[in-house]
Amino acid sequence: MLDPELQTLVEITLRTLWVCGSALLLALLGGVPIGILLGSSQFISRGLLVSSVNAGMGAPPVVVGLIGSILLARSGPLGSWNLLYTPYAMIITSTAIALPLVIGLTLAAVGSLDDEWELQVRTLGIPRHWRIWLLIREIRMGLLAAVIAALGGILSEVGAVNMVGGNIAGETRVLTTAIMMHTSMGEYEIAMSQATVLFGNLLLLAGLLTWLQQSGRKR
Amino acid sequence: MLARSRTLPKTALIAFALAALITSPSGAADKRSMILATTTSVRDSGLLDTLLPEFTEATGIRVRVIAVGTGAALRMGREGNADLLLTHAPASEKVLVDEGIVTRRTPFMENFFVIAGPAKDPAKISSAISPEDAIRRIDAAGAGWVSRSDDSGTHKREKALFHAAGLDPEADRDRLVRTGTGMGLSLQIAGERRYYILSDIGTFLAFHKRVGLEVLSKPGSSLRNIYSILQLDSSRFERPLHTSEAEELERFLLTKKTQRAIGAFGLDKFGRTLFTPLKLADDAHASPVSK
Repeated sequence: MLDPELQTLVEITLRTLWVCGSALLLALLGGVPIGILLGSSQFISRGLLVSSVNAGMGAPPVVVGLIGSILLARSGPLGSWNLLYTPYAMIITSTAIALPLVIGLTLAAVGSLDDEWELQVRTLGIPRHWRIWLLIREIRMGLLAAVIAALGGILSEVGAVNMVGGNIAGETRVLTTAIMMHTSMGEYEIAMSQATVLFGNLLLLAGLLTWLQQSGRKR
Repeated sequence: MLARSRTLPKTALIAFALAALITSPSGAADKRSMILATTTSVRDSGLLDTLLPEFTEATGIRVRVIAVGTGAALRMGREGNADLLLTHAPASEKVLVDEGIVTRRTPFMENFFVIAGPAKDPAKISSAISPEDAIRRIDAAGAGWVSRSDDSGTHKREKALFHAAGLDPEADRDRLVRTGTGMGLSLQIAGERRYYILSDIGTFLAFHKRVGLEVLSKPGSSLRNIYSILQLDSSRFERPLHTSEAEELERFLLTKKTQRAIGAFGLDKFGRTLFTPLKLADDAHASPVSK
């Protein structure tokens, strides 16, 4: 039997990974197609869209959290969903923070492909749906960079998830909000152990992704 | 064929992650739950962590505690974003009672504020005859003061004390620091600067070793810190509150057993009690613990 403090740490860590993982997944599922679409097509309002994505990449997470908490509050427009102060509100907010990062970096990766590649693929007469996979394969380095940036952003985010999650014990407390709380309670030892775990997770994940990136480059 | 073989692991990964997303654990779907908006001082003391598990076990009601400043908690109540409030700013609470938003206000425990400062006590407030006198001495000596400035219950009390001392709490003074943040961080700032500060006793005890400040005030009626349970009028809001759950929690907090637990809380962690229960008046075990 684990001692309660360690048990709490494990529980909070698992929740952190679950919330961030889900948000990352949603951001990738939404962001990569949008990025590819924006990057590989021409239409009139494209410039406007691209610049709003670029602005979104720099959006302060705390503003995203504020908007989320107003929208999701019982008295707010989406109050009937009963989502404020649940992990799902945290996933939605984290997705909103990660999405512009994923779109923006996908867009940049598509943009960095040289025109010859496009021409080659076209002249080879490869069917359209295969072309998409070839494109994804071609920009996988850029996509990994997007994953690393988005994961780093939402894993270390504290203001927004505190606002929409409420840092409720056993429900919405994640590593960053727990560190904030224990620091404000003067419990620096617990805060420090949680900070170590958070940092360890970041190192591990970043290391894993970098390794993937490096081994992908050799192929 | 190259592209197709690449899609397989990726599809598997996505399917796995989606499955994890759907089946992942969450307490949010519990049958009965309620939102309790309370002040950071109550949460940070650890009192609710001691009391609430028993309540949840007995009733099956999950209490989702949102700890914010008293001003923010009252606002949550006003807008129907919480089911029950637990705050410590009597004057502001009474406004909500008068407006009919709060249907019942029940004081259920108290402790006290302290004026803390450096042991050297440059403004000589340890010999002040009252908390108001202490504030006047700090002002007259031009000594440093750290103000919470965050519309918390403690900040409201701080302003009331300055008013009672005949001073303008909003006036700019030399060596006035407005932190706009929680009690713990404000205490640390006061400790670093060797300034005076108003604090609730619970947070002060959690921090006093680290910040090196001393309690310099004597207890006075203007430093009483009364915590009340506020029931809200569900019919005012578009989306109904969890009133029956909120009423069950209120009943639980007012039982003799819980009140005794409140009175004993803190002995193991701080070597002294932090709160005096207010609903044990006719009980033989009731004794004033504040000193």
